[in-house]
Amino acid sequence: MRSAYRSFSTMATLVSVGGFLTYVLLSSFAAGLMNQALIGRLTIGLALGLGQFVLMGVTIWLYVRHMRRRVDPVTHRLRAQLRENRTRAQAQVQAQARAQAGPRHAPSGRRPRTW
Amino acid sequence: MVTHTAGQLVNHAAGVTDEATQQLTLVLFMSVAVITLFTVLLTAPQRDEIGEFYLGNRDMSPLRNGLAMCGDYLSAATLLGSTGVVALTGYDGLLYLGGTVVAWMMALLMIAEPLRNSGKFTLGDNLALRLSQGQRSVRLALVLCTLAVCLLYLVAQLVGSIALLAQFTGAPSGTVRTMCVVVIGSMVVVYAAIGGMPGATVIQVVKAVMLVAGVGGTAILVLHHFSWNIDNLLSSAAGNSALGDRFLGPGLRYGGTTTNKLDFFSLQLAIVLGLAALPHIMMRLLAPRKTRVLRSSVVWAVGLIGFVCLMAGVLGLGATAVVGRGEIVDVDPKGDAAVLLLGYELGGPVLAALLSSLAFVTLLGVAGGLTLAGASSIAHDLYGAVIRKGKATEREEVTVARLAAAAIGIMGMMLALLSWGTSTATLAFLAFAIAASAILPTIVYSLFWKGFTARGALLSLYGGLSCSVLLVVFSPVISSTPSSVYPDSDFAWFPLQNPGIVSIPAGFLLGWLGSVLSRPQEPQVYQEFEVRALVGADER
Repeated sequence: MRSAYRSFSTMATLVSVGGFLTYVLLSSFAAGLMNQALIGRLTIGLALGLGQFVLMGVTIWLYVRHMRRRVDPVTHRLRAQLRENRTRAQAQVQAQARAQAGPRHAPSGRRPRTW
Repeated sequence: MVTHTAGQLVNHAAGVTDEATQQLTLVLFMSVAVITLFTVLLTAPQRDEIGEFYLGNRDMSPLRNGLAMCGDYLSAATLLGSTGVVALTGYDGLLYLGGTVVAWMMALLMIAEPLRNSGKFTLGDNLALRLSQGQRSVRLALVLCTLAVCLLYLVAQLVGSIALLAQFTGAPSGTVRTMCVVVIGSMVVVYAAIGGMPGATVIQVVKAVMLVAGVGGTAILVLHHFSWNIDNLLSSAAGNSALGDRFLGPGLRYGGTTTNKLDFFSLQLAIVLGLAALPHIMMRLLAPRKTRVLRSSVVWAVGLIGFVCLMAGVLGLGATAVVGRGEIVDVDPKGDAAVLLLGYELGGPVLAALLSSLAFVTLLGVAGGLTLAGASSIAHDLYGAVIRKGKATEREEVTVARLAAAAIGIMGMMLALLSWGTSTATLAFLAFAIAASAILPTIVYSLFWKGFTARGALLSLYGGLSCSVLLVVFSPVISSTPSSVYPDSDFAWFPLQNPGIVSIPAGFLLGWLGSVLSRPQEPQVYQEFEVRALVGADER
């Protein structure tokens, strides 16, 4: 699960942030190329700039889909497992469990569960 | 960055607005201020619970969260400054706006969810869990960096309010200047100290809705003016800029020498990486109770910010196309007046007044968020964990937070009055650079690298902070050029105005070095932390 989360988000960050930084560098150092007109006044540079927005949109969409499909189910399972372990541990050594879990880990049920 | 002088403004200020606009702006701004002030008092946390004061309502919908993030992030610098830069320099200005949006990708993809899962109230809590051995000194270092970023950014906002006022009244006299800063500053303090996070959220949401509506509406007017023909807009912008095709090509602002190009790259690097480490943004990321809500909130925020930035680009180009570059430069050589001039041209005094009161509200919102972030850091990390060693009651901590908010506000006001001539952009970019080179390495390492130790955190926090500050001190911003703070002396051996390109790698390097050189932590701590970061321990 760690690799599922991390490899995807690292790649996505590299693509979107790196893509943008390359675009900035290209604009500074390859101005001639960026100035070529595509349609009317729309130059390659401006078109690539708009492309950045599209790229971001696509990345976000992929990210949300990836998280929902691959990562969330695992998280839920793990979380349930953790909670189970904790309740069991609590029954055994109540004081120790409380110290470990911290003040915010009050036993579930105080608030209506959402899943 | 051109530090504008008062004299230039006096001569041309009359061109921006007339009497009617000024009065209308005042009325609009006052009514928004009064309404939000009352709402803040109504929603203010009644019980002295730290959770409520720091994080506010944790069950807000993603849309409202996203609006609040958008409100926290987009300052008057975006509304006035960036559009002005677009109006003056065309393509290079559009690149700025691009960076503003791309910055959120880093926050969404890398930082947001693990940070929220492992955190509690402030970033200091994350670090304390992760680096339990030397947590007190790490918290202290973090408080220092947070305060540096918050104060710089706050001063930038207050100085911006003076610059905005100058658009109406000409160069303000000493008294008017003080009045302006004191009024805005005390409102900010009231919002932050009394309202806490719930109060700040109200303002951010109101402001974000106004901003999206205002910018979107004006952009529609611009597009309508050019009968929805982008090509037409571009060619009239190029035509009226008196620069022809160069306006739509790169290099107008940061062209020419390699130093200039590197400077621009350095600035973009700081913007893109610094955002995720800005204290007031981080506080927002920690607020939602559920990871899924956080994710959709950030997606909403990115969408809204992307929309505002695209529309701001349209506004900037429209300003050049409709008003003309020459006139914009005449009124304010930095271009900050572009949007107001455009509004006046398209919608008369009403639209100009709407836009300028929007700018004031924007200032107010961002300043409030910053003050609150600084105050929570002082109260929770410095007072709660370092001074009282975790024994402070919640009531004491909230009291300290309120006092700290007042102290930060007053300090910001005094600094703003001292440095009112400095360029807003310089201050803001220095804040971004510090955030990116001091706070970001610590976050990234603590979330993703198990070899990270307390000494590494200390080195990267202090090192990144001092590296970026020193580089700015020895840069053309402070000395050697006519526009610097001390134009007569010359100790600028660092050629770039933006330290990011050197200080960000330095911060990461120092963090790595410190961790490698010190004794490794027990692996158990990191394992527990990692499970927490992935699963989200306190989520129910």
